[in-house]
Amino acid sequence: MLGLASMAERTETGEELAIDAENLQVTYSDGTEAVRDVSLSIPRGEFFGFLGPNGAGKTTTIKTLSTLLRPTGGTVTVNGFDAVAEPRKVRESIGYMAQETSVDLEMTARENLRFACESYGVPRSKRSERIDELLDLVDLADVAEKKADEFSGGMKKRLDAATALVHQPPLVFLDEPTTGLDPKARNRLWEYFERINGQGMTIFLTTQYLEEADQLCDRLSVILDGEIVAEGSPADLKREVGGEILDVKIEDGPDTRQRAASIALDSGIFPDSPAVEVTDEGLSITTPTARQHGTDLLVALRDEGITVTGFDIRAPTLDDVFLAITGEHIEEETGDETIAATAATDGGASR
Amino acid sequence: MSTPTAGETDEQVSDSERSSNTFLGDVWVNFVRWNIKAVRNRFVLFGSLVQPIIFLVLFTQVFGHAVGNDLSGGTLNYTTFLLPAIVIQVSLVTGATSGIGLVNDIENGMFEKVLVSPMNRAAVFIGKTAAEMVRICVQIAIILVLGVILGAEIKTGILGIVGLFAIGILFSLWFVAFSNTVAVLTKDQESTIIAANFLQFPLLFVSSAFLPLNALPEWIQTIAKVNPITYGVDAARAFMLDANVMEVWNVTAFGGIWNTVVPAVAVLAVLDLALGGVAVYMINRASSASVK
Repeated sequence: MLGLASMAERTETGEELAIDAENLQVTYSDGTEAVRDVSLSIPRGEFFGFLGPNGAGKTTTIKTLSTLLRPTGGTVTVNGFDAVAEPRKVRESIGYMAQETSVDLEMTARENLRFACESYGVPRSKRSERIDELLDLVDLADVAEKKADEFSGGMKKRLDAATALVHQPPLVFLDEPTTGLDPKARNRLWEYFERINGQGMTIFLTTQYLEEADQLCDRLSVILDGEIVAEGSPADLKREVGGEILDVKIEDGPDTRQRAASIALDSGIFPDSPAVEVTDEGLSITTPTARQHGTDLLVALRDEGITVTGFDIRAPTLDDVFLAITGEHIEEETGDETIAATAATDGGASR
Repeated sequence: MSTPTAGETDEQVSDSERSSNTFLGDVWVNFVRWNIKAVRNRFVLFGSLVQPIIFLVLFTQVFGHAVGNDLSGGTLNYTTFLLPAIVIQVSLVTGATSGIGLVNDIENGMFEKVLVSPMNRAAVFIGKTAAEMVRICVQIAIILVLGVILGAEIKTGILGIVGLFAIGILFSLWFVAFSNTVAVLTKDQESTIIAANFLQFPLLFVSSAFLPLNALPEWIQTIAKVNPITYGVDAARAFMLDANVMEVWNVTAFGGIWNTVVPAVAVLAVLDLALGGVAVYMINRASSASVK
């Protein structure tokens, strides 16, 4: 595309933060504390991931950062502008793609983009060139004159993404941009996001898909019940899980699995107190010494007469991170088996 | 990852990118969008054009026959009597579609998309409403031409034509405000359609639209006197018939048709301002904290 990130902030201190939020709080009129205490420092150019289960406060945070909601407490600075005092300046400097696909179904792809250009004051002389560019970028050039209600879900999403970028903002918010898309459409959007990030655009992405965050993001924050519970690069967060994961398949029923769990915990096979979880299929053991002592466990289980039907040692996924932080698996909506399956390609059993 | 270039060239780009949003520009952009949508939307086309034409033709053929020469001792044909009511109906339907358009925008995310853009929010609504006013004028023009073909007579001539357009717009505003208020309150398309669109029929029937007040049953007369449609229809009808047709009050201070037009316009203006204020307040509230 063209030169992006043209108007990100240059603060007086010389810092270059796209987003600077301190002690953000959002309480709805019914008393729901959707965001309790969120602080974020996101440098320009970063691909930032905001991760959390449904209802954790992701969308509320993103709407507050993009001036759609007023914070109850705390401060928000976006591209150097205060979101409460100068909302219009903030709006000029950001792109926003909502969780629900937002396109005008009665207008064609080109008309939707033209309206977006006009909304953001893209100079008339640049409009048609930019619209053509964006249509190419999201692969809608050949259906540009068709009304959006004839589009598939993936096409609408791509059109929506394009409309968020007409003014080449230095920062774009993407609220669960790939929810409900098939893997092919999802991959295409990912490529696209990586491309614009590569050109210097800061991206703030919320997602429930751990694979998405893992693949795209430089840095992540995990939000739970309105508070940030973990921060770091995907690799950092995985390291926090504390080791690798040994999945053992046992088909003999819950009692046997429970007994196997006791053996794994109490036999002293794994020196530094492993985290053992009984799953529907067997055991899942997290320990730094999974590789050294994994076979010892298999032998011990056989000696106790427990039949192991499969096993696998794998690096932790972000789902394991989430489990370690929250004690719960992140929710994956139905219809997302593909993600669950690909997320576990380096392991065995999908969760 | 980092910005490839920095410095003065960047500043220049950003200046030119940001400079072209003006208030009138924002009005125009939204005006164009809603005009495109109106032409493409079958519901809007049917509701605001076909339906009034059907009303005009069928009512004049069916009731016109029954009422016959009872109106004003035979000097008045029913088409002339009915045409102002159809003008008001056109305004009413367009007022209803205004809220339905807004609720559609809320449901498909365009409302939020507009709110997150740097456009002036007042300009957004002025543009949308202006498109609806233009639609009302086009519809009234069609209705007037058709009415004249069917035998209606605009007795005050050019003044009457201008007056009918003005009353149509003035009348529509309170219903625009009402339907938009319902839209932001319910955020639900069906509720808005029921509240705004279906309300038009009972409202039309319990007013002076189809028959003079004194020909209606007592209890309907009572309701008709507080029904805004009565005032809209009376004002329009005064222009049409060149007569003081108001039955609610007997005003004599202004002379001729103005004895009807002035009080009716006053009632409508107050109603427009009151409901308009409520709508602006509700839309403001919805847009400064749009929480689902």
